[in-house]
Amino acid sequence: MAAAIETKQLTKSYRSRVVGTINVVDHLDLHVEEGEIFGFLGPNGAGKTTTIKMLLGIIYPTSGEGYVLGKEIGDMDVHRQISYLPERPYYYEHMTGPEILRFYGSLFGINDRAKFSSLLEKVNLHRDVTKTISQYSKGMQQRIGLAQSLINDPKLLFLDEPTGGLDPIAHREIRDLILGFRDEGRTVFISSHELSEVELICDRVAIINRGVIEQQGKLTELLKGGRIEITVDGVNEQFLRDMKINDSNVRSLPIGILLDMPEEADPNAVIDSVRGSKGRVLSVVPRRKRLEDLFVETVTNRPRSTGGDTK
Amino acid sequence: MKAIVAIAGTTVGEAIRRKVLLIILLVGLLVLFIAPGLGTLSARSETTVLRGMMLGIIQLTSAVIAIVLTVYMLPNEVERRTIYTILSKPVQRWQFLVGKYLGAIAALALMMALMGLVMVITFWLQQGVRDVSVFADLLKAPVMYFIQMSLLAAVAIFFSTFVSPLVNFFLSGGVYLLGSLFNPFFQTLQENQSTSPVAKGLATFVNMILPNFANYNVQNPIINPGQTIQNEKLYYLSAAGYGIFYIVVLLVLGILVFDRREV
Amino acid sequence: MSTDRRKPGVLLTLLAVFFVGQAALQGGYLFNAWKTNYASKNSLSSSGGLSPDQFLFALAGFREMIAGILWVRADAFFDTGNYDAILPIIRLVTLLDPHEIDVFATGMWHIGYNFTDEEQRSDRRYIPSALALGKEGCRQNPNTYELFFETGWLWYHKIDDDYDQAVKWFTEAQKRPDMLPARKNLLAMAYQRDGKPDEGLNTYMRLYKDALERMKQEDSFGTKQNRDTLENNIDTTLVRLVQRGWMAEQEKKPLNGYDVDPPFDVGFSVKATVVAARKLQFEGTWNVLPVGTRIRVTLKDSNFPHGEPAGMDWDFSNDVNLDPPKEETFMQDQLFVKNRRFNHKVDMSRDPTMYPFKSPEYDLEFYYNPRSAPPHIQDKFSWNGEGMTDKHFLNTDVRPGQRVIYWKCTLSRDEILRAGKYQDQIPIRKTPNYVESTRSYDKENVIIDIPSLRAQGK
Repeated sequence: MAAAIETKQLTKSYRSRVVGTINVVDHLDLHVEEGEIFGFLGPNGAGKTTTIKMLLGIIYPTSGEGYVLGKEIGDMDVHRQISYLPERPYYYEHMTGPEILRFYGSLFGINDRAKFSSLLEKVNLHRDVTKTISQYSKGMQQRIGLAQSLINDPKLLFLDEPTGGLDPIAHREIRDLILGFRDEGRTVFISSHELSEVELICDRVAIINRGVIEQQGKLTELLKGGRIEITVDGVNEQFLRDMKINDSNVRSLPIGILLDMPEEADPNAVIDSVRGSKGRVLSVVPRRKRLEDLFVETVTNRPRSTGGDTK
Repeated sequence: MKAIVAIAGTTVGEAIRRKVLLIILLVGLLVLFIAPGLGTLSARSETTVLRGMMLGIIQLTSAVIAIVLTVYMLPNEVERRTIYTILSKPVQRWQFLVGKYLGAIAALALMMALMGLVMVITFWLQQGVRDVSVFADLLKAPVMYFIQMSLLAAVAIFFSTFVSPLVNFFLSGGVYLLGSLFNPFFQTLQENQSTSPVAKGLATFVNMILPNFANYNVQNPIINPGQTIQNEKLYYLSAAGYGIFYIVVLLVLGILVFDRREV
Repeated sequence: MSTDRRKPGVLLTLLAVFFVGQAALQGGYLFNAWKTNYASKNSLSSSGGLSPDQFLFALAGFREMIAGILWVRADAFFDTGNYDAILPIIRLVTLLDPHEIDVFATGMWHIGYNFTDEEQRSDRRYIPSALALGKEGCRQNPNTYELFFETGWLWYHKIDDDYDQAVKWFTEAQKRPDMLPARKNLLAMAYQRDGKPDEGLNTYMRLYKDALERMKQEDSFGTKQNRDTLENNIDTTLVRLVQRGWMAEQEKKPLNGYDVDPPFDVGFSVKATVVAARKLQFEGTWNVLPVGTRIRVTLKDSNFPHGEPAGMDWDFSNDVNLDPPKEETFMQDQLFVKNRRFNHKVDMSRDPTMYPFKSPEYDLEFYYNPRSAPPHIQDKFSWNGEGMTDKHFLNTDVRPGQRVIYWKCTLSRDEILRAGKYQDQIPIRKTPNYVESTRSYDKENVIIDIPSLRAQGK
């Protein structure tokens, strides 16, 4: 499979009089396959939007290279095949949905009424054609944004925080639309700090912090390493001593004692020894590793002190 | 080209809905309409005073609109992030800037046309003027003002590629004032025997580089009729040509700056 | 670089070409064409109205507002007599707000009357500027009578010589509907001074008709008073027309028996002495007893620009000039006749700016025009001096068509300054008919020969 996005040592730095040069994006190596939904994760100010703007040619890299759909970034031809949905954009408020589509369509030289109405239908706005953007809810605005981003049938979509600030129902609608894009064979590049969303739809993710990629890979691989939690009651001191040797965390809860152990550990053996010490097993719960855990692990492992605060 | 037209179109659509602009326009129109009433209060008023007053109102209102309209144009696009959706499409930055500019002057043209119309109506209804040639003569000034405002809008757009709106407001306003007053000043300087050659040279230089808005202040012979104007057509054409040259210069400069700017 | 794959060279070339293009248009054509056709006619431009720094000052804000503030400030200067400071303010105010009629009017009066020397002689070099301000005010405010009236008044009262002009401006003023009825009477008086009493009478009659019309609409004290004044004036004029033989003259009848016949010889003689540097004394005779005779004396550069006999072309300038020629001298004074003699000293030594004496030669002129005479003297001389003559100095050339008394002599710079050989030699000029007299005419007990002004002379 060809790479939809490829960056090599892509760097963007700003000069600040106070703290000197800051690398907002620091020697970034990204690799996004065609046809996948790629999650670009990081806390606010990690350099996500800066990276996207560089890929779109809106701002210029300080050093390094970047390729979008095989062409060097900034190539106007590429703009015909991609689209971008910025974080919480405000469209021209006096326009209606169809007018927005007509406007953005004209930027590509597209004036296809049938296409516009099918797009409106796709984002479920076909009943609101007379409303102006100023009368839209946030969810509707986001959906018209998605509709405009599909005008040119893009091969690659950049979605910056597509679900930011939306209610759960709107979340779901957007999520479904994005999943639909993949089915249509498009590559989707989502930047987000809302992990639960990304986890549900992304094939691969990269975690960026302080402008540096900390983790990059398939979600299934990155999320390896779950835990098993066993809650017990009435066990003796000897049992607890044994457990600690066994690489388990032992915590005292109001209803009993929680044993937290790696996925690889054998729960049967533990249950046997509980019985042996006259104790009771209250529950056995396997805990899969969540993206959030990975994220927190990654971000907290690297102290945020390297180079001041970014914008 | 389609992209430029589309951007210009939305700009017009937006401009004619901006409350600030509408309020300024409304005040201008209102004053235009009641101007004859104000005139009768001072027994000395006749059409001469009225003409001067009306043209003055049109010019002042247009200048304020031109500045307010353009200084916020680029910053608003950035703030709303619409500029990103547009620039991520196959739209060059120069197309965006030119589209915005054309939209701005088209909106100005609309608003000024409305003011011109109200002026004509006022003369027709309240002053009982029925002579078409009088209207044609009167409307020469707003036409020239339109070129003047287009030049002003180009100045403001150029500045907006690198300064904040508030600074731009005063900067463009200042340039307008300076450009409007430089011609008479230069004239005074030239004719004053005691001016040093250095000052004269310097003034000549400034005369060549400053956008001379005064070139479009053609109201004097309209307000005080009876003067013969030599080569009026040539003058109007040259003034228009001058405006276009200067506007192109400003837009090209603006594009050069805007192309390198990170938005 | 995303958007700009074109060579910047192309853009830069375009930039250069268009920039040069606009500069060429502006410098080569537009500015001059604008100056000719569109520049404000009241002129910031016209020669020397304002200096560039005064102009810059004017740019500091809104025109009318500044104009108002300036005018308030000028008032303070009037109080302190700082007239030099007022002049530029008046100029600025009228430029900034050309509809400030009061400022124009005050400005004219100020420029025309307030600049004087230590002996209260007006600096007449300013008068053309005062008139220019009036003319500019009229151009700027053509719809109101005021400035036309004010300009006429300056001719009538201050210049007091060329009454054609007064008639012209008052006539213009009357065309404006807002002119006050009472002020309209002045046109009739100007006609009389202009030697056209019949036109004066016509004007009175016309105004009288208007007054009667107005009475029908508005029976107020003002209208009544105006009507009564007009009745009086018409009466007086009719009597004078008869007594002064005007009626007879019109009917080609002999003037025998009328007051103006035969013409009375005023017997003018004068001796001018440069008593000290820049100090002149004029002594002489004038055979008319009644008080009220004022003989004009002028001393000016022989090559005074726009100079005319015993005056100048007051109307030569259309530009308000705040700096009248500093190099030129123009002195004008009046010799009051008392007991048939006059004796007057003019001291110009204390006002070097007004009397710079830079020219090598000066014309000293004596001039009397019966048109300016008060009515009791005109009763003998009539409106145009038909009843006046002088064996030596009656002149009909210096004011074509008018009978005036005129004598001119010249003085050199050295003589006036008492320089060179004139340090101890006293320069004197006198008419051949001047007779030295030791007799004092000032004392009350002296008995004077009184020639009769009545019909048959003595």
